Amino acid sequence: IDCISHFTFFYYPKLYTPGQRNMYFNRTSFLLCIMQSCYNSLILFFIPYAALHDTVRQDGREIADYQSFAILLQTCLIIVVNAQIFLDTWYWTGINHFFLWGSMAAYFALTFTMNSNGLFFIFPTMFHVFVSGTGRNSLNQPNTWLIIFLTCLLCILPIVALRFIFIQTSPTINDKARKYKMRRDEIPAISLRPPATRRVSKRSSYAFSHSQGYGDLVTSQKFLDKKTPRRPLLFVKSLCKLAHMIIFGFFVTFTQL
Amino acid sequence: MKEEGNYANRPSNTAFTQQRLPAWQPMLSAGVVIPGFLLIGLAFIGIGVGLLITSRSIQVLELDYTGTETSSPCYQCTMSNQSNCVCKLSFSIGTLFKGPVFFYYGLTNYFQNQRKYGVSKDFNQLIGDVSYFKSPSSDCQPYQRVNGKPIVPCGAIANSMFNDTFKLYQIINGKEELVPFDGKGIAWWTDYNIKYRNPDYTPLKNAFNDTEKPVFWTKPAYELDTSDASNNGFINQDFLVWMRRAALPNFRKLYRRITEGNYKDGLPAGNYSLEISYNYPVISFEGTKKVTFSNVSWMGGQNEFLGIAYLVIGSMCVVMSVVMLIVYAKFRFPEED
Repeated sequence: IDCISHFTFFYYPKLYTPGQRNMYFNRTSFLLCIMQSCYNSLILFFIPYAALHDTVRQDGREIADYQSFAILLQTCLIIVVNAQIFLDTWYWTGINHFFLWGSMAAYFALTFTMNSNGLFFIFPTMFHVFVSGTGRNSLNQPNTWLIIFLTCLLCILPIVALRFIFIQTSPTINDKARKYKMRRDEIPAISLRPPATRRVSKRSSYAFSHSQGYGDLVTSQKFLDKKTPRRPLLFVKSLCKLAHMIIFGFFVTFTQL
Repeated sequence: MKEEGNYANRPSNTAFTQQRLPAWQPMLSAGVVIPGFLLIGLAFIGIGVGLLITSRSIQVLELDYTGTETSSPCYQCTMSNQSNCVCKLSFSIGTLFKGPVFFYYGLTNYFQNQRKYGVSKDFNQLIGDVSYFKSPSSDCQPYQRVNGKPIVPCGAIANSMFNDTFKLYQIINGKEELVPFDGKGIAWWTDYNIKYRNPDYTPLKNAFNDTEKPVFWTKPAYELDTSDASNNGFINQDFLVWMRRAALPNFRKLYRRITEGNYKDGLPAGNYSLEISYNYPVISFEGTKKVTFSNVSWMGGQNEFLGIAYLVIGSMCVVMSVVMLIVYAKFRFPEED
C-alpha cells in the first residue's frame, strides 16, 4: 500500500506506469527473490552451525542438541521474515502494527507454551515431540541470542543497503513520488469535482452525431490491449515471502521432531 | 437513477473502509540508514572484541583416544574380540586449569541427527508407563523385541548408549591420586524431573519383569547406578545426556564435573593419567573418540567463530556506511517531480 493516496494517482497518472510496464513483477525480480531466499537459507543454517559446532552452554552442558538447534533456527527465521515485511511495508496503519508485532509475540508465546511442563502433563502423547523445556533451556543463553542477532542482521542489512543505493542511483517513479510527498508533507488537495451527471459539452446532440465518432478507436484495436494487474507490488512481495517460507520453513519445522 | 438505491449500496465512509487510517510512513532516508549502519558496525566491533577476549581466556584440552595409530596407548583396545579393555592416557598440564573444570567425551562422524535413528525410541516407556513395557512402540524397530521379549528401553538411541568410563589420576610424587568427579546435574533439569520418570515400583527391578535389556548394554536399566536410587533407571544422568541427541555429527557431551576436594579451584599444573575402559566401538564407521577438559564463561565454551564473525560484519558495516555516504553525496537525489 502506498502512502500516496488515490487522489494523487488521479492527478498524476504517470505513477501507474511501473505497474503497466510490469516493472515489479517480471522474471528478473522473481529470480532476484529466489537468490535472496537462497542466500538467507545458507546464512540461517551455516552461521548457527559454525557458532555452535564446538561450544557448550554457560553452565557447561551441551548446547548443540537437536531441539535447541531447531529452536534457534526457527527463531531466526521468524525474525528475518518479519523484518522483511517490516522493510516492505511503506504505510503503517494500526492493523499493520498489530499483525507484525503480534505475530512475533505469538511465536514466542506459543514456543514457551508448547515447551512448558503443564502442557506436557496434559497431553504427553502430543507434546513429546515438542520436547518440554527446550524453549526455556535454549533461549536463556546469551550465546543463543548473540547468534540470533548476528544471523538476522546479516540477512537484513544487505537488503537495506542495496535498496538505499538503488533509491539513490536509479529511483523509480514511486520512490520519487514518495520523496516528494515526504518533503512537501502533502500534495495540494484538489477538490474532486462531482461526477458529471450531464454532458458538459455545449454542442447539441445533432452536432455530436455528425462528428468523427469512435471509428478510429475500433479499427485501431487499441481496446484489445490486455489489462495489467492492479497490484503487482503486493503480489510479488507475497510471492517472495512464500519462496522464503517454502525454502526454509519445511526444513525447520521438520527438524523440530 | 434512484438516489436511494445508490446510497443503500454505497460502502460506509469511515476511515477504516476508505483506507484513510492514520499511518506512519517510514522512508529509507540517508539520515537514518547511514548513521544506523555506522552504529551497528561499531556495536558489532565492540561485541566481537568482547567475545574474542572471553573466548581466548577459556582453556581447552582435547585428547583423542580412538587408538588407530600403533603408537597410541589405546591401540590394543581396537583389536577385535577385546572386551573390558583398559588403556591409560598420560598428559601434563602446564598452568593451573581454572575451575570448575568440565570433562566431556566427544564423538565424530556420529549422526545422531539421522531421522530413523532419532524417532527410534518409545517416550511412553521413558515416562514410566508400565503398560508400554509389554508392548513397545513399533518406532523402535529393529530394537523392539529380542528372544520374544520386549526391550526396555527400546529403540536405537537407547541401545547405542555410550559406555566408556573414565577415571582421572594426578601423579603426585610418583603416586596416583584420584581426582573426584561430580556427576550430579549434568542433564537438563526438565529432562531429569519431567520428561523421564521411573515407573513407580519399589524395588525398581519388579517393573522390568519379562523384559529384556537393550542388546548392546551390559547391565539392565535398573542397574545403571545401584548406589544411588535417584540416578538409577531412566533418570540416570548419563542416560539422559545420551538421549538428548546432538544436532551435528561431531559433538561432545558432558560426562562429569571436577569441582570437589583439592580440585575445586581447578586442575593444578602437573602430570595426569586418564584411565579409560574402552568399550565403545567407533572404528567401524571411521569415527573418533576424544575427551575434552574445558572451563566455561558467560558465553559458553571456547568458540572463536562468533567473535571473529562479529568483528568482520562490524567492519563491513562501517565500510558500507562509508560507501553509502559516497553514493548519497554523488547521486544527490534529483529534486524533480
